[in-house]
Amino acid sequence: MVALNSHNLIADWTAAKWLLWIGLYLSFGILGPWLMTRAWAQQHRSNMQPRLSQIFQHGELGLVSFMLAISVIWDLQKSQYMPHTIALGSVFLAMTGIMAVQVWIESYCRRSTGMDFHPERAWRDSRRLALLVFSLAFVTEILLDRFVKVAAL
Amino acid sequence: MRLSDPAATLGYLSLIFGLLLVFFPVSFPRMIVQNWENARLTPTMILFTVLLNVGIYLRVAHRRSAKPGIIAATCLGSVPVVVLVGLNFWLQATIAGTLNQYISSAPARVNEEILAHTFFALIAAIFTPFLLIRLAQQFRQKQS
Repeated sequence: MVALNSHNLIADWTAAKWLLWIGLYLSFGILGPWLMTRAWAQQHRSNMQPRLSQIFQHGELGLVSFMLAISVIWDLQKSQYMPHTIALGSVFLAMTGIMAVQVWIESYCRRSTGMDFHPERAWRDSRRLALLVFSLAFVTEILLDRFVKVAAL
Repeated sequence: MRLSDPAATLGYLSLIFGLLLVFFPVSFPRMIVQNWENARLTPTMILFTVLLNVGIYLRVAHRRSAKPGIIAATCLGSVPVVVLVGLNFWLQATIAGTLNQYISSAPARVNEEILAHTFFALIAAIFTPFLLIRLAQQFRQKQS
C-alpha cells in the first residue's frame, strides 16, 4: 500500500491539527459557557451551581453542533479531496448539523407558543445529536489531516 | 422513532472509527483498502449496517413498547443496500478522477479517498433508513 508510513502519522501527534481543533471546540463551545456561569454566580454572590444539563436545557447544544458542522464543511471544501468525496462528506455533515439545530428550534417554538415542552427531552436529544456531529467532525478532521500529509508527498 | 435514537450509537461508532485511525494509522486503513480491492468491503458493510440498524430499531421499539412495523423493517433492510451499492459506484468515479490527475502521489491519494468514502458511506447507510422512517412518520401524522 503506497501511503503514509507510521512514522509520518504517529511521530507528530502533538502537531496534529485535529487535537488543537478538539481542544478549541470543547473549551469554547462547552466548558466556556459553564465557567462563565460559575463566574457570574461568584460575582453576584449567588449559590447557583448549574450543571451542563441545566445550561443547555433548551437544546442549545444543537446550535453549537450546527456551528461545528459548518466549520468542518468549510474545511472540507478547502481540502484537495475529489469533489465527489467533498460533496458526500458535506451533505452528511450538513444533514446532521441541521437535525441538531432542529432540536433547539423546536424547543424555542414550543416555549414561544406555550406548547408542551420537556427540557429533559431537549437536553437528551441535543446531547445525542451533538455527540454524533462532534464524532463526525472529529473523524473528518483526522481524515483531512491525513490527506494534507499525503498531498505533500 | 426519534432521530436522536440512532444518533448516539452512530456517534460511538464514528468515535471508534476515529480512534482506530489514530491508534492504527497504517494497519487499519490498509485493512480497509485491501478489503475494497478484494471486493469484500461492500458486502461486509451491508451485513454490518443491516444488523446494526435492526438492532437499534428493535431496541427502541422494545424500550417504547411499540410493535415493529413491516414498512420500517423493509426500509431498514433495503435502504442500506441501495445506499452502499450506489456509493460504491460513486467511489469508482472518484478513483477514476484521482488517477486521471497524473500526479506522483495518486496511489496514496486513492487510498485516502477509499478511507474517507468508507467512513461517509458507513454513516450514510446507517442514518438514511432512520431519516426516511422519521419523515414517513411525520407525513403520516400530518395526514391523520
